[in-house]
This record gives sequence, C-alpha cells and structure tokens, in this order.
Amino acid sequence: MDGHVLALGIRDLKFRYGPSGPWIVDVPALDLDPGEQMLLTGGSGRGKSTLLNLIAGLMDPVEGRIFVGGTDVHSMHGAARDLHRGRHVGVIFQTFNLLHGFSAVENVMTAMMFSTIPRREHRPRAEQLLEHLGIDRPNADPDRMSLGQQQRVAVARAVACDPVLVLADEPTASLDPENAVVAMDLIQAICAEKNAALLCVSHDPTMKDRFERQASLSELAAEPAAAEGGC
Amino acid sequence: MTDFTIITRSMTARLFSTITTIITVSVAVGLMLLLLSLRSAGEEAFSRGAGNMHLLISRDSSPLVSVLNGIFYAKAPPRWIEWSKYEQIVQTYPLDWAIPTQLGDSYRGHPVLATTPEFFTKFQPDPDEPWQLREGRYFTEPFEVVAGAAAAKSTGLRPGDHVELKHDATNEEHAHFEYIVVGILEPTGTSHDRALFTSLEGAWIIHAHERREDEDHEVEHTGADDLLPADRKITGIYVGLPTREGSKVSAALQQVFSMLRADPSITVAQPGDETKKLFEIIGNMNLLFIGMAGVVMVSSGISIMLALYNSMEQRRRQIAVLRVLGCSRGRISSLVLTESAMIGLLGAAAGIAVWLIGSQVATSILKDVLGLVVHPRLDAATTLIIVMATIALAALAGVVPSIMAYRTPVSRHLKPIG
Repeated sequence: MDGHVLALGIRDLKFRYGPSGPWIVDVPALDLDPGEQMLLTGGSGRGKSTLLNLIAGLMDPVEGRIFVGGTDVHSMHGAARDLHRGRHVGVIFQTFNLLHGFSAVENVMTAMMFSTIPRREHRPRAEQLLEHLGIDRPNADPDRMSLGQQQRVAVARAVACDPVLVLADEPTASLDPENAVVAMDLIQAICAEKNAALLCVSHDPTMKDRFERQASLSELAAEPAAAEGGC
Repeated sequence: MTDFTIITRSMTARLFSTITTIITVSVAVGLMLLLLSLRSAGEEAFSRGAGNMHLLISRDSSPLVSVLNGIFYAKAPPRWIEWSKYEQIVQTYPLDWAIPTQLGDSYRGHPVLATTPEFFTKFQPDPDEPWQLREGRYFTEPFEVVAGAAAAKSTGLRPGDHVELKHDATNEEHAHFEYIVVGILEPTGTSHDRALFTSLEGAWIIHAHERREDEDHEVEHTGADDLLPADRKITGIYVGLPTREGSKVSAALQQVFSMLRADPSITVAQPGDETKKLFEIIGNMNLLFIGMAGVVMVSSGISIMLALYNSMEQRRRQIAVLRVLGCSRGRISSLVLTESAMIGLLGAAAGIAVWLIGSQVATSILKDVLGLVVHPRLDAATTLIIVMATIALAALAGVVPSIMAYRTPVSRHLKPIG
C-alpha cells in the first residue's frame, strides 16, 4: 500500500444466482482512481447492472471484495452500509427515478438527508448545485420539466454529497441524441469537477469516443487478478 | 427535508385514500367518545328527574316500573290508588310532604300529570332548583294547564291557548272539557320538561263525567260536587321525608321505606336506587355499544393497513430510490409506521371534532324528544387514553406494510439498475 486510496477497487468478485448457476459477474480486478472515468460496455443481460448493484452494496457477492473510497463495502452491514452508500456513492439511473411529489430542489435535498452535511446547508447547497447545472426553477415539479432537465436534476442528486464514485446506468437511454450529448457532457464535467470517479454502463456506441478507459464485462473477466491487499 | 416531509408527501400523494381512512378512524373515535360521554351524562340526567323526592308510591308491578312510569312517563300506570289509601298513608307515616299524581291523559303525545299545586312548591325536579315559570302562572283551578318547556316547544303552546286532552286508555279526547294553558315552565333538564301539568280535581271531574255519561246519556255538566269517593283516584304519590336543615338525606328513609313496603297493596320505590338498577341494565347495553365502537375502531385499523398495503406497490420504487440514496431498511420501515400512526393521530383529532358535533346533535335530540338535558363531557384522561390507543392501533396496523417496506428488494424495483 502506498497510501493512495482508490475510488473503486474490486478483487476476485464473483456473483451468481443460486448455488449452481452460471457466474453472472466475474471480475478478478478493477481499480478506478479518484476522478477517473470508465465506460463499461456489453449487451443486455450480461450482468452490468448487477455489477453496479454489487458496487453500491445493494447486493452481496458470492466471492470477492469491493472497496469504495478504501472501505470494504460488504464488511459493513445494514444501516452502516446504507450510510456509506449515501455518503460516498452517487447513482444516476436511466429513468432518472426522481421522487414524485417532490420538487427538483427537494429531490436533491433528499440525498443529503442521509449524509453528514448539516441540515441548514441542504437547501442552499442543493439550489446552488441545480443552478450550476442549469436548472433555474429549483422549486418546480420535475414531472413538468423536459427529460433533459429531469436528467440534470438526477445528476445533481447523484453528486449532491460529493461522492467518491458515481455509478451511471445507461444515463442517456431515455434521451434523444441531442440531449444525450448534453447530459453526458454534464455528467463527465461535474464528476471531473468534484474529482469523483465515474463508472458508466452503456451499450450506446457513441459513448466510446467519450471515455479513454473502457472495457466489456467479458474483458474484465479475462484480466488477471491483482495482488492481495487493500484498495 | 426531514422524515416528516417524506411522510406528509406520501400521504398527500394518496390524498383520497388518506382522507377516507382518516374519516373512518374519526367516526370510530367519535362514536367511542360519544358513547362514553353520553353514558355518564345520561346517568346524571336520569338521576336529576327524581329531584328531592325520597320515595315514590304506586301500584305498579315493581319499584323499577313505578319509577319508569311515575318519573319518566314511560306509560300510564294501569292500577289506581284509592284516595282513602292516600289519606291513610299521609296520616300514618311521618312524611314531610306527599303529592298525589295521576297519569292517564296526554296531549299530542305528551303525558299529562294531574296533581296538586304542591307539586310546584314542595317537589323540586332537580334538588335545590325549584320550578321556574318562563311565562304565565301555575294552575290554580281545574282545567288549567302548565306546559313543560320541551312540551311547549314541540307543540307550540302559549298561555291562553285552549287544548283538549286525550284519554290514553281509550285513545279518545275528553270532548266536553276544554283546558286553558296558563303557564310555560323553564327547562329543568329532566323528563318533566316534556309533560303537561294540570289540576288533579279537573282530572277527577273529567273521568267522573264519563262515568256519569255511562250511567245517564243526558248528563251535560259535571262539577266537583258530583265527585264520588270512587272518582278520586290517583296513580302515584311523590313523597318527601323530613330532613335536617341543609341536608337532603332523611334519617327516617329506611324506616319509612320498610314500613310502607310491608303494605302489600302498594309498591314503594326509592328512585335513586331504581335509577342505579336501571343503569345496571342499560350498562350492559352500553358495553355492547362500546364493544361495537371498538369493533369499528379495529376495522378502521384494518382499513389503515389495507390503505398502506395497497399503496406499497406504488411506493416500492420510491422506497428503492431512498435506499439507494442511503436510507436504511429500519428507517424506511419507521417511515411507514410513523405514517400509519399519523393517520391514527389525525383520525383521533378529527374524531374529537366528530364527538363535539355528535354530542351537540345527541343533546338536541334527547332534549327535544325525551326532555332530557344532558351535558356530555369528557375528562382529559379518558380522551388522552382513547387518542393514545388510536395511535397505537394505527401504528399496529402499519406493522405489516412496514415489514413489506423493510423487505423491499431494491435491485428488483429499481429498473434498469436491477
């Protein structure tokens, strides 16, 4: 160990449904430095989303370990793991998954509810972030916003707590090509600005030009395992 | 943003369901409070009707029936007490006062009590609260009528009005005798408010006239001079015993009661005791009603559970998003439980409003129909217990939905991340 803390470190990760099913996820090693951005490609049903769930700590691996910000995600249980996710991992969904009945700023503030950010800072911080991302009506209902604007609110929510890692699952799949370009520019720029590592899952071929580092799940499976140790 | 914000947004997102559930709970709570408050208020109102009377004498089948007929005007007593018996009782026992009464006539459904003027001077319908006139005067002559407050209100009688009374046994009007209303009483909050009061002598004359008509169809006029001893009948005697200055309790009560009870030709009742017996009987009915209100409470709890249970399918995505944002399973679960308890709290608060309205309506109905003035009251402790029980029941109803929320698999309900 050189004291360098990875945003994401995966060691000998394996997952399958049931005791004798085929391995859905098999990643011997994967490291992402803070601020590094990577595209994960592959067809539908290949386990990309499952990998994101494992990284977020929403599912438990059969084998291996996942480190986010230097912490072994699956060494924690229950509320501790949930809190770690809320503080260190931001997630951007294909369908945005904004909370109905909550305004744009409230959606962003919801993410901060589960962080260590003092409550009095929630609203000004959320409003500032939304303004930074081009949302000029923070109190508007996202259901009345365009898809592009909804995606911006979702991005703001994902980075609201200054996460070390942002997981983006098909973030442009619901957008038209023009808005997709804008959204990806935004996601990559804000992650870079906040020095958050970005792991983007997509099978959109236009994405490939955006990421220097990219791999498919099968390519990850073929990589040799890293040495024993922490991340 | 707080947990409270999330809960209120969840409730407003399903506004119709939330409101109907709150209404269900409020009706149950209101009903429970109403029954409890009316129970004590009713007991108090019934106790008031006996006033300062110590004993009630009649020839009814039991002391309880005697009280129901003689004080609460349930129906006209079927058996008479001869006037000679009344005189014997008055002469034999150490009574402070003994007011003869006769029931058997009515006016537009309101009982008519024929009595003597002492009824208004000696007997007090509510201890320490003598009769008071709203208008006119008390009767002094035969065929004069004083109307109780509720009777006057429902019939519209005013002093100067002329009325014909009906004989309950034959359901025929005493056509030859017209009464004049001379006074209207202030409300007393007792059963007497729905009665009319007239002279005992007038009642005797009417019935003597009918007797004479049966004997001789040519009879046109009957007066006090035509009364035979057999015409002088009564159905009850209100008895007051001597008491010490400032006391309502008579030391002679048990002794006089025992002596009178030894007379097999009469029925003697202590109204206070009989009212207690009556409430023991009604008390069982009360328990039934309270049990029914309890069932409504439980079913309202079930409706809370169903409302939340049905909403869980729509909320699983929201729950999954909150979990991804860092909300723990326990906190999600407590959000649902708190929401359920809040519905209970709001339902209980609305139930108090239902009780306030319901008690006003019940008070009005009891006053107009029975002439009973009740003052439904609830002590803070009872109200608090029912509110807390409602919240606890509602929280209990939220247990199943909260377990469902706890177990919501995030990956499955957060497509496409799953």
